[in-house]
Formats: sequence, C-alpha cells, structure tokens
Amino acid sequence: MGFSDLVRRVFLVDLIKGLKLTFSYQHPSASYTDQYPLERPVVAERYRGAPRLNNHPESGETLCIACNLCSIACPENLIVVGWARTEDRKKRLTIFTYDLSRCMFCGMCEDACPVDALELTQDFEIAQYSRQGMIWDRQALEEGPRPVRYTR
Amino acid sequence: MVQNAIEILRAHPLLLALIKILIVLLVLSGIVAYLVYMERKVLSFMQARLGPMRVGPWGLLQPVADGIKLLLKEDIIPAGADKFVFLLSPAISVMAAFTVFAVIPFAGNFFISDINIGLLFILGVSSLGIYGIILGGWSSNSHYPLLGAMRSAAQLVSYEVAAGVALVGVLLISNSLSMVDIVNRQQQMGVWNVFLQPVGFVIYLIAALAETNRNPFDLPEAESELTAGFHTEYSGFRFALYFLAEYTNMVVVSCIAVTMFLGGWLQPFVNVRALDFLRFTPIASLIGAAAFILWLGLKSLVPLERYFFIALALVCILLAGAVAVPAVLNAVQGIFWFSTKVLIFLYAFIWYRGTFPRYRYDQLMTVGWHWMVPIGLGNLIVTAVVRYLVSARA
Repeated sequence: MGFSDLVRRVFLVDLIKGLKLTFSYQHPSASYTDQYPLERPVVAERYRGAPRLNNHPESGETLCIACNLCSIACPENLIVVGWARTEDRKKRLTIFTYDLSRCMFCGMCEDACPVDALELTQDFEIAQYSRQGMIWDRQALEEGPRPVRYTR
Repeated sequence: MVQNAIEILRAHPLLLALIKILIVLLVLSGIVAYLVYMERKVLSFMQARLGPMRVGPWGLLQPVADGIKLLLKEDIIPAGADKFVFLLSPAISVMAAFTVFAVIPFAGNFFISDINIGLLFILGVSSLGIYGIILGGWSSNSHYPLLGAMRSAAQLVSYEVAAGVALVGVLLISNSLSMVDIVNRQQQMGVWNVFLQPVGFVIYLIAALAETNRNPFDLPEAESELTAGFHTEYSGFRFALYFLAEYTNMVVVSCIAVTMFLGGWLQPFVNVRALDFLRFTPIASLIGAAAFILWLGLKSLVPLERYFFIALALVCILLAGAVAVPAVLNAVQGIFWFSTKVLIFLYAFIWYRGTFPRYRYDQLMTVGWHWMVPIGLGNLIVTAVVRYLVSARA
C-alpha cells in the first residue's frame, strides 16, 4: 500500500466522491419522472402506437385502395379488409377492422401500404374497457383514440 | 394580564417546565413526521425521481396520511408472543428516545432542565432504548425479529463504547457534564470543540450512524436478510411507535453532536468582526425559503397548488419581517443556529443512506472494535496528556 493510497483510505476519499455524485443528482434536471396525467410525455418521432387510417386532407375520402397488402403483411393476421367493385370495376373499401389486442406494433402493415393510408401514430393511450373494444373498425381507425384528458 | 401570567409561572416552576415539555414534545413529533417526508423526498431526488407528489401540494400531507393509515391498521399480536413484553417494548423505545430531550439545550434561553450530569443522563437513558429493541425482538416469538434484535443489541453495545470514548475527549476539554456548561465553555474558549477534537468528532459521527441503525450500518433491518429486523411482527400503531423512536433517535444523536462538537446554539464565527453580518442569516434564510417556495409554486402544474405555494411564500416573507425586529432577531438567534446545525446533520444522515451500501456483519464488527475503539482510546489518551500539560503550565 503506497502513501497516496494510505491517505486516500484514511480520509475516506472514495466515500466523499460517492457523496458528491449523489449530491449532484438532486438537481431538478436530473429527474426522469413525468407527472403523467398532469404533464404528457414527449413521444419519440418514430414511436409506433395506435394505428390510423388516413383520409385525403382535402376531399376527406379514404386514401385506402383496398389492396389487402397490409392484411397479407401482418404476421398476426389481425387486419381484415373488405371491398366491393363499383360500376367502373374499381375496388372500393367497405370494411376495415384492426384487432389491437393482438397487435405487436411491428409496423409491417405500415411498410406494406403503397399509398400511406395505414399509419402507426404516436398515440399511446389505447387501453379499453373490453376485449371487444380492442377491435377497431374503420370509423375508430379514422378518428384515432380519444383518451379522457386529465383536468383538476 | 401578561404580568399576572409571568408571576404565576414564577410561583410554580413546575408549570413552566410542563409548558416547555409540551412545546418540545409537540414540535418534535411534528419534526419527526416531516423528517420521514424529508427522507423520502431527498432520497428520491438522489435517485432521479420525485418521491411523494400526490397527497397535498408536493406530497406535503403525506406524513398525515401515513399516520392515519397506521392508526387505522389492525393491531396484530402473533400467537405465542409474550403479550405483556410485546406490548411494552415499543413504549420503552419511544420513552427512552424522548426523555433525552429533557437535558438538551435548544438555545441559551430555552431548555427544559440543566442538570450537572447531563451527558451521563443522556448516555444512560438512550442506552435504555436497546431494551425496547431486544425485548420486542425476543417477545415476537419469531426468527427474523430475534436475529434482528440480536444484531441490533450487539451493534449498539459495541458502538456505544466508541461513542462514549469520543465524548469523554470533549469532557476533558470542557470540564463539565452539563450540556449548557459545555456550550458556554465553547463560547468562552472562542472555538468549537470540533476543531480541538476532530478525530473524536469523526468517531462520534460514525458511531452515531451505527447507534441509530442507519445506513451503512443498518444491519438490524437488512431487508434482504431479515425482512424488517426486530419490528417484523409489529403492525399498526406499535410499528408507528418504533418508527417514531427510530427517527427521534436520529434527532437525539444530531442534537448531542451539535451540542458537544459544534457549539450548540452559538452563532458561527462570533469573534470575527467581519462576519458579524451572519446575525442576519435568519432573515436571509426565510427570504430564501420564500423565493424557493415561489419558484416551486410557479413550476407547479396544478393551479390550486400554485395559490397555496404563493400564500406560503407570503407567510415566509411576513415571518422574515417579524424576525427583522431587533429584539425578536436576538431572541431567535440561538434556536435558529441550533436547528440549522441539527438539520444539516439530519440531511447528512439521509445523504449517507442515499450513497453508501450496507456493511457485512463481520466488517461492521471489525470497523467497530478494530478501528473505532482503538482510535478513540488513542485520541482520549493524547487529549488527556495535552490537557494535563496545558493545565500544569498554567
């Protein structure tokens, strides 16, 4: 044991170093806690949350062309796309259901969509009171989740 | 009216003592309750979280909620427990912890009693607290409490030696066992005992941590090994009593350390002219507190809490105005410095808990018997020799 080592042990330098570190953690900016219902967390840009079926911003008609590619891409087979032919033999979307209870938010459906109609958004409040509520129909997908905002 | 009251108090000194006891008891209970709150807050800040936030503004009512919860809980007495001893032991702990405050001088003009064997009384009574722990652990008729109590007793006894030896060094310097005299002596010498007895101070500090069963010496309640130590089988109000005793002991130990080593109620650097402005620290700290509360309030997310904090800041500023009156400033000087020093000690206790890992049991005993006691004895001998030489020359 060298001299400096002895001094370090007698004056408990290592302990003081530790004390300094914990003291610095008391700075308010060191806190990681979000007070969730009062303040909402900042969600990362590439976060994959609740799915949304996009409408055309001007005409308000759905962007979905009912190609069924998302349904095929889905590893969990939780998307059901239904369509009907119009008189000019075009496919038109009739039903679209998305079972969120089985979704693992892999984003394959989003990647498969050729027209950017299906999209995983940054909404994260997707809890429901029933299993049935987890199966979203076309209307729910277009509106997105509507969580109750906490006010006091 | 006031004259009458003063005359009545003069005629019945016991009444005055009773009033003082009541004040000390009530204020201390409040302090201990909020010490728990402070511990939770400071610890959580050190661990990068916020701590209690939901009960009242910034969780300020958390101690009240905890108290009510503990009072309403079922009071369980384990089958096979020695019922009488089981019921008695928490009371022993609390009484031993609170009795010590009878001789602690909170300020030059505020103490319950000043007896000429003050320190001896403190050491004796606070050691009685061990009975509360070991009887509670034994009477629970359970493994964990028994083992925890054994550890606790062994630890307390071995560190009591080191603490006692460290305190004797101070006694040699101050020539008295009375707590008031010890502080007065430091005033006469113009230097705090901590500068004359730095080794004794450090030893007392470490021994005090061990005696109050705090980190890094909290083996009696090592959760990972013993669930909760000696109070494993206690619930409800009796558990609350143990809790109260433990935190009161923290305050006791800090009070003793402040009185013995850090000049009790004395203002730091009284002799230095240039630092005379320290007299105004009470006003400054109240204004600082007001600013801090205001900052907290403006950051608060709930509108109702914002108003509460602003009102609190106003109260602080009013208090600062009241303290600014010269007569009041002189009166609060002693109690302010004493409580500030004690608060720093209490903060340090929590700080250690947030930083240091727990010792192993054999390490604890090694530190106690192989380091603390021999160093303390060496310090004592050196102090005695120097003291003899100085007094022989004088």
